[in-house]
Amino acid sequence: MNGPLKTTTPVAPVPAATIVTAKTEPLPFGRTKQAQEAERALNHIIDDFDDNPKAMHYFYDLFRRVYCRGESIAAAGIRIGTTCIHAPEELVYAMGATPVRLCNGSYHYDQIGADFMPAKSCSLVKATLGMLCSENPVPRVGKLDLVVNPTTCDQKKKASAMLQEMGHPVFDLELPNVKESEASRVYWRRSVRQFVEELRRVTGRKLTRRNLKAAMARTQRAEKAFRVLDGFRRASPSVFLGKDAFLVVNAYFFDELDRWCEAVEALNAELGERLEKAIRAAQKKAPRIVFTGSPPIFPNLKLPLLIERAGGVVVSDETCSANRMLYDMTAIDEWLLNDMVDSLADKYLKPCTCPIFTKNEDRRRRLLELVTKFSADGVVYQAFAGCQVYEMEQRSVAQTLNEKGVPMLYIETDYSPDDEGQLSTRVEAFLESIKTRKRNRA
Amino acid sequence: MNYYAGLDIGSTAIKVALVDEDGKLAGAHVAASGSLFYKNAKEAFETLLAKLGVERRDVRYMIATGYGRKLYKEADDSISEITANGIGAHEVGKAHGGVRTIINIGGQDSKAIQIDSHGGVTHFVMNDKCAAGTGRFLDVAARNLEIDLDELGDYHFAAVAAPLTINSTCTVFAESEIIGLLANGHGKGEIIAGIHHSIAKRTVRLAKKVGLEDRVYFDGGPALNRGLVAAIQEELGREMVVPKHPQTTTAFGAAILARSEFLAEEREFVADDA
Repeated sequence: MNGPLKTTTPVAPVPAATIVTAKTEPLPFGRTKQAQEAERALNHIIDDFDDNPKAMHYFYDLFRRVYCRGESIAAAGIRIGTTCIHAPEELVYAMGATPVRLCNGSYHYDQIGADFMPAKSCSLVKATLGMLCSENPVPRVGKLDLVVNPTTCDQKKKASAMLQEMGHPVFDLELPNVKESEASRVYWRRSVRQFVEELRRVTGRKLTRRNLKAAMARTQRAEKAFRVLDGFRRASPSVFLGKDAFLVVNAYFFDELDRWCEAVEALNAELGERLEKAIRAAQKKAPRIVFTGSPPIFPNLKLPLLIERAGGVVVSDETCSANRMLYDMTAIDEWLLNDMVDSLADKYLKPCTCPIFTKNEDRRRRLLELVTKFSADGVVYQAFAGCQVYEMEQRSVAQTLNEKGVPMLYIETDYSPDDEGQLSTRVEAFLESIKTRKRNRA
Repeated sequence: MNYYAGLDIGSTAIKVALVDEDGKLAGAHVAASGSLFYKNAKEAFETLLAKLGVERRDVRYMIATGYGRKLYKEADDSISEITANGIGAHEVGKAHGGVRTIINIGGQDSKAIQIDSHGGVTHFVMNDKCAAGTGRFLDVAARNLEIDLDELGDYHFAAVAAPLTINSTCTVFAESEIIGLLANGHGKGEIIAGIHHSIAKRTVRLAKKVGLEDRVYFDGGPALNRGLVAAIQEELGREMVVPKHPQTTTAFGAAILARSEFLAEEREFVADDA
């Protein structure tokens, strides 16, 4: 990790004495590959667009501190890492521990993680493995007391043993293959109860009705703030861009919960003012896009950025790094603790539109709903090369959208920056075809 | 007289086209891209102007397209080569009764585009980041066989035996496969016909993804190769419309768009004034 940086550009000759110290002293953090990659991405997110909301600077600064300067985000007390949205975070908070989502978006870690996986594997899984095998990974999450690994896709399942080999205590949260049947519901509820047991062992604390209710109140505040933010994206012309929306929810992965809520509430207040004053984030005719498929995670916001730099707006998304994570609210009014846990389990199974499930009509329904609700003109579908389930669902999603006359652009990509030229041609052609279509209709 | 220009800066060749006030093609020019895209594009444009005796100031609007579209800052606007190709093929295709599917093979990619009755793109697919089935593949093969690119067509038809099978989909592996076939004493004609069929199979698979509609238009540099045209038609099972100048369709499309954008801007200006 953070190995010596290979200089590609020739530099002025350095006195021999300096070279000796450069070998013994660790590289300044800002010059590591990981930090430079993050810096580049962040600069694009900020500088390629005029007039970003002021409240976004909280998030820009947060990412700069954490990813570009390597500031620690290790929470005090017990830390529980999660590799997927299926791990109920309310339970973690209730038992006094702090969850941190480990899914990583860095190409640097993707290359390190490539040692563990076959050649054509998902960048996200490789990057997460690459990060977790590093001695001092970024984000600096601190020593993890437990990594919860829901048994979702094959690659994440097999990553479990590798994480254990790296020395992480791993808990496999067993997820069923279908979500409709009563049998899988029972199975999943039992898995969640086992997770509670595991948390009790790790934290030494008990789950009670009181602490679960308190935890749910905290996460509910976040979900409410997210819903308000999501509502602003329905405005046409747009007042808020997708690249910022992805960054905001991405911060939820690791930011302190209450501080995150405050920052989003401040952002919502500003967006309210902007909407009133009709301050636009994009042109009136800008094609409105719903983003679906493999999740964009900082610094890999490559595709959303390409869309918005080419004059489109990502008005909504159906991904597990944003919408799928916070949209479905937890509202539980059961009297007994056991029933509360069961209901919580249901919330983590039923609404999920992940393609790992055998049947997934919900995802297509959800996409059509988003297209209507956000007055979208088209859908961009990202599949990370090697993510078989997303690659396979492409056909049925394309068919459903086609039947409704919604154009879709399917893009297979990964974390490497080398296909940006090709992708920009495709994205621009897609947006141009949407504009032509609209003009012909008018 | 006013003229409008389309400049298509591709990975291998730079194409410039000029249309006149009525949107008729005034002339076109093709030059190699080389490594200095900007300089070579500028020279290509100036060469065409000199050839047609047109002054720079008479070119009222210019649209750049192709991989290098963002590099040419003198252009008034830029557009993706997919949109420009659609417009150009639609215009050229009118003389052939209209076209709805475009197969384009370029220097480093191949595309299949579906257009509506106005030339608007409705659907498109591109090959993945890989040189297989592109102009580059033909380039590498011709070099291995020590013949010129424009001789490929003649060799194709001179083949005495059936086309050989080239299995490798990777340009680098195909190169060694070709060398192997040569070492085994196979004739150049059969090898070349085999290469053409291998590219044709990939291209037709791509075209089927967008859906084949009548008529199919084939353009891009490799469309100059009669052997490849024959192979694709055989794999498709139907005739294609191959324009006389297949390299400049996209530049022509950009020029047509330059004209209509200029006229639209003029119109808006007058309307604002009134």
